[in-house]
Amino acid sequence: MDIQFWGVRGYVPTPSPEYLRYGGNTCCTSVTGSRGELIVIDAGTGFCQFGDALLEGPFGRGEGEMIALISQTHWDHILGLPFPAVVHVPGNHLTIYGPDSTRGSLGIIYDGVLSPVYSPVYGLANIGATHDFRSITSEPFSVGGLTVQALPCSHQDDTSSIWSYRIDEGDSSIVYFADMRYANAQMFNDAADFARGADMLIHSAPYTRAESMRDSAHSRVEDAIEVALRAEVRQLFLFHHAPSRTDDQLDELLAHYRAELAAQQSPLILEAAQEGVKISF
Amino acid sequence: MRYGGNTACVEVRVGETCIVLDAGTGLRLLGNAMAQSDAPPPERIHLLITHTHWDHIIGFPFFEPIYDSRVSISIYGLRRTQPSLRATLANAVSDPLLPISLESLNANLAFHEINHTMCFSIGDHIHVSAAQVNHPYRALGYRVESSDGILVFIPDTGPFHTILFSDERVVWTGKPAPLSVEEQRALARMREAIVKLCAGADWIIYDSQFTPEQYLRFPHWGHSTPDQALDIAREAGVRELLLFHHDPHRTDAELDLIGRRYAQQAPPGMRVCVAYEGMELRREH
Repeated sequence: MDIQFWGVRGYVPTPSPEYLRYGGNTCCTSVTGSRGELIVIDAGTGFCQFGDALLEGPFGRGEGEMIALISQTHWDHILGLPFPAVVHVPGNHLTIYGPDSTRGSLGIIYDGVLSPVYSPVYGLANIGATHDFRSITSEPFSVGGLTVQALPCSHQDDTSSIWSYRIDEGDSSIVYFADMRYANAQMFNDAADFARGADMLIHSAPYTRAESMRDSAHSRVEDAIEVALRAEVRQLFLFHHAPSRTDDQLDELLAHYRAELAAQQSPLILEAAQEGVKISF
Repeated sequence: MRYGGNTACVEVRVGETCIVLDAGTGLRLLGNAMAQSDAPPPERIHLLITHTHWDHIIGFPFFEPIYDSRVSISIYGLRRTQPSLRATLANAVSDPLLPISLESLNANLAFHEINHTMCFSIGDHIHVSAAQVNHPYRALGYRVESSDGILVFIPDTGPFHTILFSDERVVWTGKPAPLSVEEQRALARMREAIVKLCAGADWIIYDSQFTPEQYLRFPHWGHSTPDQALDIAREAGVRELLLFHHDPHRTDAELDLIGRRYAQQAPPGMRVCVAYEGMELRREH
């Protein structure tokens, strides 16, 4: 599998010089299977560059097929979808899995996002590629040689539905936790079980436990590390970086937690997700 | 990184009065700058919205002053039959798209829906007028006039000779449909109102998203070229034209070339510049 980060920022894009190394685009990660299967997880603004990169291949000719897995319907996970040209090339096909909400299915939510008051697309019907929205469930499904599993991760106080994803190919696996919080011990156990033995865990971690902030809806850096250790994953990528977190601060944060892991003689490899970086295993 | 990647947001200060034009991602930086400043945040902020396409509102929930109970924000935008300006913003920032609601914000919000022909005053020394521009689902341009100068903000508009945009979607078949006489007249009237809005301005900040080649392929997007911006600026007799709303794919190097080319084409007495993030404009006395 090849994993590539196209957007790693949480909340809102941060296109400013102090964020250029880790990147300012919001959530988007692609997973390519060894037979060319293409899955993209979340469609924040990183989806724009992801889509542009596909223009050279079958997507440029209207022969592309992709699966999108949406973890939740907040702006930083969905707003990039309508922008790249490949989405408007007839013949391309998108299958989009994601949560339904109190306002209706994912397709209805996207139709609202693309309504003329917000978008010159004037609604989902005018996207050139054919598209198929599917409500995500816990039932595993196959995409070529890849197996996709989803785990519901919302707490009863969350207003929107949040899902995490695991993709396996043979002995390789990647797990993606975005925008969730650990409201109780059971959620930690479930997350650790879901991520068990993964080669790569991508985990949203915008803030540390020591940082006080308005946002209480996101897991902390310490939560991500705890789950990674309990699940015995090989490498953990901190993700969904806070808009205030500069490149230098991310370097410092990484150094701090790597030193803690080294002191515990932990084999866990700790990284911060970085836009453009590709990992193969 | 020189011209910048944030979407539309311009701050206008006249004395103590703070006016903000559009709420793109740049609004987050303005809020941060206010929070980091030694001065307290302005008690009242006037936010003038040209239209509510995503790139013009996406910064709103990330604007620090909306969480400050000392601040009042007056939000102006186009009056529609429906949805209301308030509902448009409320729906964008609430479940399931974001976890906030306008009611939960600490700042005091007041919404003012305006007709495109409307003029109004902010305090007793700033005069604002609006005009409808040529953009899908309609949008506004604003003129802000005070003793400090005249600024016109038209971040999104197509030119006035190919397509007349309204609330209906333009179905694009690869070439523009012939314009009816009524449409031609409506476009001429709209252009006339825009030239009037820009008349004698110190600065006009104007949509220049496309190259002329791109315009020919995407006239149905409702954006202009620098040449079309320059035509309006020349006719309105403005002092400085700021090319704005750069295409997402336009690189710094390309913008350098555009800046040089159009600076040379400016008539005597007019400056043409490419707008960049952090740029400040002041009338030279």
